[in-house]
Amino acid sequence: MTIKRSIYVLVLLFAIAFPFITPDPSFWVSSGGTRALWLGVAALSMVFLNRNLGLMSLGQLFFSGIAGYTVAISTVKYGIPLETSVPLGIFLGTLAGVIIGLIAIRTKGVYFFMLTLAVTLGLYAFANQAQEFTHGQTGFNSIPSPVIFGVDFAEVNAQYFLFLGIAIVLFAVCKFLERTSFGIALQGVRDNEERMISMGYRTTLLKILAFIFSSFIASIAGVMGVFYVTNISPTSVGLVRSIDLLVVVVIGGATYLGGAFIGAVLIALFEAAIQDFTPYYVGATGILFIAILMVAPQGLMGVAAQIRAYRNKKNEKAAAVK
Amino acid sequence: MTQIIFTFLNGITLAGLYFLVASGLTLIFGLMRVINLAHGAFYLLAGYISWTVADKTGNWFIGVLAGALCLAVFGTVVYVLLLRKFQYEELRVALITLGVSLVLAQTMLAIFGGEYYQTSAPEIFTNSVPIPGLDLSYPFFRIFILILAVVVAIALWLFISKTRYGAIIRAGVDDTKMVSALGINVQAVFVWIFFIGSLLVGLAGGIGGTANSFGMGTDGDYLLFSLQVVIIGGLGSIGGVAIGAFLVGVVGQFAVGYFPTYAGLITFSMLILILAFRPQGILGRKR
Repeated sequence: MTIKRSIYVLVLLFAIAFPFITPDPSFWVSSGGTRALWLGVAALSMVFLNRNLGLMSLGQLFFSGIAGYTVAISTVKYGIPLETSVPLGIFLGTLAGVIIGLIAIRTKGVYFFMLTLAVTLGLYAFANQAQEFTHGQTGFNSIPSPVIFGVDFAEVNAQYFLFLGIAIVLFAVCKFLERTSFGIALQGVRDNEERMISMGYRTTLLKILAFIFSSFIASIAGVMGVFYVTNISPTSVGLVRSIDLLVVVVIGGATYLGGAFIGAVLIALFEAAIQDFTPYYVGATGILFIAILMVAPQGLMGVAAQIRAYRNKKNEKAAAVK
Repeated sequence: MTQIIFTFLNGITLAGLYFLVASGLTLIFGLMRVINLAHGAFYLLAGYISWTVADKTGNWFIGVLAGALCLAVFGTVVYVLLLRKFQYEELRVALITLGVSLVLAQTMLAIFGGEYYQTSAPEIFTNSVPIPGLDLSYPFFRIFILILAVVVAIALWLFISKTRYGAIIRAGVDDTKMVSALGINVQAVFVWIFFIGSLLVGLAGGIGGTANSFGMGTDGDYLLFSLQVVIIGGLGSIGGVAIGAFLVGVVGQFAVGYFPTYAGLITFSMLILILAFRPQGILGRKR
């Protein structure tokens, strides 16, 4: 346990020091660090659900999108201050999670995956069509960032540390929830739902609560995204973005909370580095994604476990031969 | 009244196209439990190939045929190289095909750019036919799509449920080991299913690319339509696809015609509503 704890401390220290030690900070703090934190929080919402319930959701961008659009529409169009629009956005995103959760939670496996994908694609179509709300393809530009106690969070370092704070808090909350009786019951549902039902647990309620919590995180990620890119348009909730998020989760390791951030850091660095060479860097990400899925389906966090399992199998075989 | 009939005709002919697109998806899933999320990208790729070949040869039929055959081969290659090894891990396969769709989308964007294309129909299709009893004429090509969809639906149903090959396919899916023991090469059967499923989406791409324009983003749109159709109708059932395509096509067209702003929202609410009562889709089997 002490090794694990010291790794946490090291990662945290590095994350705090990052803006001061990176070369070319004007580029890497924002395009590398802040972007990774934003993607990481979005991925965290997906990993939490997959890790504790075994459900892979592509609907996270739907909740992010609703929260993001709410903030964009209310501040840019109606001039509502951010103190009101941000909680409203997170609230509406989470509320959407309640509605979708009631339906989606009844399906499993690849059906759940397809349904949540359809939900996100539906928001994309709506954002394109409903011009009077969403301004269609143009979307909303120059969305302001918050200014709290005189600190302007549009400034690169301030935004980085705000995002870092949010990421740490949410990561800790996820870790904490997994240790509560709620989290343990969820893992029970994941492993054997029938047994949990016969033990008297209300598994549907448990699943819906987990789904709502994950859509809450996704909504926060949506607001972060609006502040980070300062604009929102249908592309922000499109198919490519959904897959992008999936890539982050799969590369990091879809069953490890830390994998969300490892994947996010790698993808942010990879895309920031490669986009100078090719404008079609998303395709390169896709190839990386397929390769990881074929070779290491548990992602980078799972590589150690995979090697261990491979060795055990080999040893067993050797023992059997003897 | 004329307006309503016109909208209905638009809806039902579009449903024909949706059926052609989604039938390949449901065929592969229903028989192999493999879900191909690159389906939208396959549709778009077939559209580009058909357009290019029709443009070069000046013959629409060769263009559509080329699109369908290229996709059939391409789909089979994707299956053999990337999916076969993990065939029984549903989610992993779904994820890999999403990766394929990402790579395809970027490659097509690099080659064909962001403009929109539309293949021009041959002369015999460009006429309009009068609708008897009404002061209305309707493009023949769209009616042709509907007829084609009905023909494909009947052919598929006959093939799967009445022929010896269909019986082998169904048996191979239910009990792979037993069928192999009877001396049938099940792996080859699976390759053929993928071939036919991809051929169908290839055909749909060529036809759909003539009826409607296509370009960047079309892959996502048609993936959405196909998912809606199979989710509503019930994944894996040909009849379910027909019902799903009908609902999505007709309801979608009425929504676009009368409430354009909320069109997406209306079809979407329909999907949610149906799922609330039948999570497995209208004709889906409970699993």
